[in-house]
Order: sequence, then structure tokens, then C-alpha cells
Amino acid sequence: MKEKIILSLAQISSKRENKKENLQKIEELTIKAKEQAADLVIFPELSLTGYVVRDQIYELAETIPGPATKKIESIARKTGVHVIFGMPELSEKTKATIFNTAVFIGPKGFIGKYRKMYLPTHSVFEEKRYFRPGYQTAAFNTALGNIGLCICYDLFFPEVCRLTRLKGAQLIVSISASPSVRRSFFEILTAARALENTAFLAYVNLAGVEEGLQFWGGSRLVSPTGDVLAKAKYDEEDFVTCEVDYNDIRPAETFIPTLKDLRPELLDELKKHSETL
Amino acid sequence: MKLAPSVLELDLSEIEKRIRRFIKQYVENSGANGIVLGLSGGVDSSTVAALSSLSIGGDRVIGLMLPEKETYNPKDIDDAKLVAEKFRLKTQICDITPVLESFYKTIPIFDQADKLCKGNIKARTRMIYIYYYANKLSRIVCGSSDKSETMMGYFTKWGDVAADISPIMDLYKTQVRKLAVHLGLPAELAAKPSTPALWPHQLAETDLSIKYETLDLILYGLERFMTTEEIAQQLNIGNTLVKKVKSRWLSAEHKRRMLLTAKLEYRTVGKDFRLPRDAY
Repeated sequence: MKEKIILSLAQISSKRENKKENLQKIEELTIKAKEQAADLVIFPELSLTGYVVRDQIYELAETIPGPATKKIESIARKTGVHVIFGMPELSEKTKATIFNTAVFIGPKGFIGKYRKMYLPTHSVFEEKRYFRPGYQTAAFNTALGNIGLCICYDLFFPEVCRLTRLKGAQLIVSISASPSVRRSFFEILTAARALENTAFLAYVNLAGVEEGLQFWGGSRLVSPTGDVLAKAKYDEEDFVTCEVDYNDIRPAETFIPTLKDLRPELLDELKKHSETL
Repeated sequence: MKLAPSVLELDLSEIEKRIRRFIKQYVENSGANGIVLGLSGGVDSSTVAALSSLSIGGDRVIGLMLPEKETYNPKDIDDAKLVAEKFRLKTQICDITPVLESFYKTIPIFDQADKLCKGNIKARTRMIYIYYYANKLSRIVCGSSDKSETMMGYFTKWGDVAADISPIMDLYKTQVRKLAVHLGLPAELAAKPSTPALWPHQLAETDLSIKYETLDLILYGLERFMTTEEIAQQLNIGNTLVKKVKSRWLSAEHKRRMLLTAKLEYRTVGKDFRLPRDAY
């Protein structure tokens, strides 16, 4: 396993309902990532289709494996770069059950996927109408280290990142489609999730405007002590390449021993009280 | 949360940036040649004219001045011209009086004394002119409705609210006034009393029976899920007034969410045909 990896935060604006164009953009930027010696390139939530697609999601969703993941597999194989991106995933067992999924593909093929557990259905969000929630956190042992996945609103629920970390993730990747009025929340949450878990956190958000929703960009790599190591522009498309040095985890974990100090019995209490809210 | 004028303060540079991005992207995606807007000389339309011009360039923006004899005010025309000159947008003046008079003459049940029904003809006639220009010149219509009047239903259905985009509809009137100054519009114009110009000497605050400074705070409280009692207590005003504002806000939803039918079939327009707009 590498001690240091290079990753690219590909903060794009997706063309809604145009998978072909979005796949082309993913390909171009993966080539760019390779040119910048990146091991991993990360694209935003639902970057394959755009975020506000409403009922068109039923036409756009694909199984995994499917045409989109096969295309990305060929891009990863050709470039030697790992790719994480977001797509609406159609269940293989049913015809209209869809998940909001983050997919992780390496040069040797499919590594894993994560289905968003917390689906916002309030304010401008209507995800529960369209998606079934996932039931598993995800952390994958790869040549690039142990990398965990989560999606956007999951960051509001510390248990997702905590569990991902407990499963071994040293780098937690959060892909997102967050509109600008929520920027301040995510700027706090990304730092908090990294710090409380003493893990790296890479956050990659959409940019651009979809039906008046302005995605604020601001993608970033946060250190295990909560410092922003690299940051993309607000609001616009941007591409930032940065380094993760896993050696930074040990001093952080020693200095802020949140994992050592975990109190499992509180989790039982948490379960009990959340069931009776 | 303490309801005080400070809650309505905004980072105006950020707001300007977001609105300009919204306008620019919408025009680009739509493939339109530019923007048409009604330019009354009031603060809302002047602000939208300025924002449109800053977003896509004044040469791609037409401000239509649509006076009619009953509400004609040379000061409004002067103000509209001043905005057009400052932000380098094109203008045209169309006197809509003859068209209005034709309506008055040819509607068998027309009632001269019913100033609201008559005034709404004016707002809808202005809409027809604006959309003619948009249609003919392949442009989009940029509306000037603000959040205060939209929440209160203080507009003409299918009239002044009709637009392809409404860039300042998420800003209360008092916020629009501050944005206007921020954009470089004259302070006097930014503070000008608002009127929909449906009848002579009409003023919005008189019609609404409340000052915008108070109304905007009440609406802000409602937006933030506060109860009428909490709002009344914090603003030190009567709960009856707050309830009246709330009731007017709720009862005007039919003006904001149009196209209603009975649910009869599988998927229905306005109900469960939930399609993305402007994605193509």
C-alpha cells in the first residue's frame, strides 16, 4: 500500500440527462488527472446525470455493472487512474428501484460501491421519492489505502463516517450536490467529520446551476486534524490535485485520540433513544 | 432567533454574483438572443434591468416602457431612461392606451368603477407586449417580482408576474432596495414608493396596509417557521395583523402555483408529472 497518494478533485458541472457528454467529461478529466500524476480522481454526486432530473431518473438509472460503469472501467484501465463518481443505480432485481450510488473503479476494474444512506427529503430535496436508501457503509482496501465512501447529506450523521472509519477507512470520500445556501454547514461538517475520526476527508461538490439551485463547489481535502489542505473555487468548475500523506494520521490520532476514547456503551443508549424520539 | 432588521441583511456582493450567474446560465442554456423586461422606472424592474445588463451585456437587454394615460408619470419614464443609460440597455416605449381603450369598449360587462378588474387588464396587456417582443426577437422574459409581493399575492395572475425567470423573487422588498443601491442605482430611485400602476396614485404600502419594513420581518418569520404569536411578540405588534398577513400569504397559493386539474389518470400535469425544466 502506498504511504502517499495523489488525488484530483474534479469539481464539474454536469449536463443534465446527458450521460454521453458527462462520460466524455469524466474521460477528459481522468486523462488530465493522469497528466498530473494523480492516483485517484473524484467526481461529484450524480455526476453521470446531473442532480435535478426528477422523473427522468427512471430512464437514466443503470445497473452496476452497466454501460456507464463499463465505460469508466475502460477509462480507468487506459489511464491507470482510479475513479470515484456518482450515478443513479438501478437494482438488478427490480425494474424501478433506484439508489443514489457512489462507484469506485480502479485500473483493474470495479472495486466497490456505496448507496447513500441518508436521503434528504425536505426543503428543495426530494430524494426519498426516487431513491431507496442504502444499508451498508463502505470501506475498501485498495492499492491506494483503505478508502471509504459517503454521499453529501450523510455528513450530517456522524455515525456514517464513524462506522466507515471503524471499518478501516483512512481516507473518507464524500461526493456531493450541495446548493449554495448550505455552504456554511458543509464547511463545518467536512472539517468535523475528518477531525473527529482523525482521517483524511475528500469532499467533491457539483458546480453550476440546475433549476435555480446553485451548487457551490468548494471541493476540498481536509486533514485528519480538520485543516483544509486543498480547496477548489466556489461556484465554478475547477480541478484541484493534491496529496494525501497517510503518515499524518498517526500523529493526529495520538494527539486527538478519539478512536482510543470511543465509548461503545453510549451507542446502545443512542439506539434506544433514537427509537423513541 | 430575534426578529430585527438585521436578519434581512445580506452579503450583497454574493447575492449579486449568484443572481448574475443564474441569469447568464439560463440565457445561455435556453439559446435565447437576450432578455426583454418591463421597465417601469420602479425599484424592482430597475434592479432586474441592471442585473440583466451586468449578466449578459446591455446590448442584449431590451427594457420596454409601457405607459398608459391614466397612470402616466413622466418621472417614471425619466427614471427608466436613467437606468437604461447607466446600464446601457436598449429601450422602447409603447403607449398601451389605445389597446386598453379597445378592451374597455369591447368587453360587454366592462365596469369602469371596478378599478381592480380594470387595472388587471393593464398588467396583462403589458405582459402581452413584453411576450410579443420576446417571441419575435427570440428572447426570454425576465420578471421583476420580489418576494414580499409574491408571498402576499400582490400581483396580477398572468400579468406582471408572467416571466421565464424571476431573478429577485427570493428577495424581500427592503432587500431589493439595498441591492439596488449596491448596484449603483440612485438612492432616490431605490427608495421610491412601489406601485403596480393599475390605477392613478396607487401605492403598494397603502394597498397592503403595512410598511414593507414590518411586512418583510413578518414574512421572514413565517418563512422560518415561526408562529404568528412569536412574530407578534418579537415585533411588538398585534397578532391580528400577523395573522392577516399569514392568511393572505396562504390564500394566494393559487396565484403562485398555476395549472390545476382534477386527478383522473395515471400521471397528471401539475401533480405527478415531475419533470426537470430547462434541461434540454
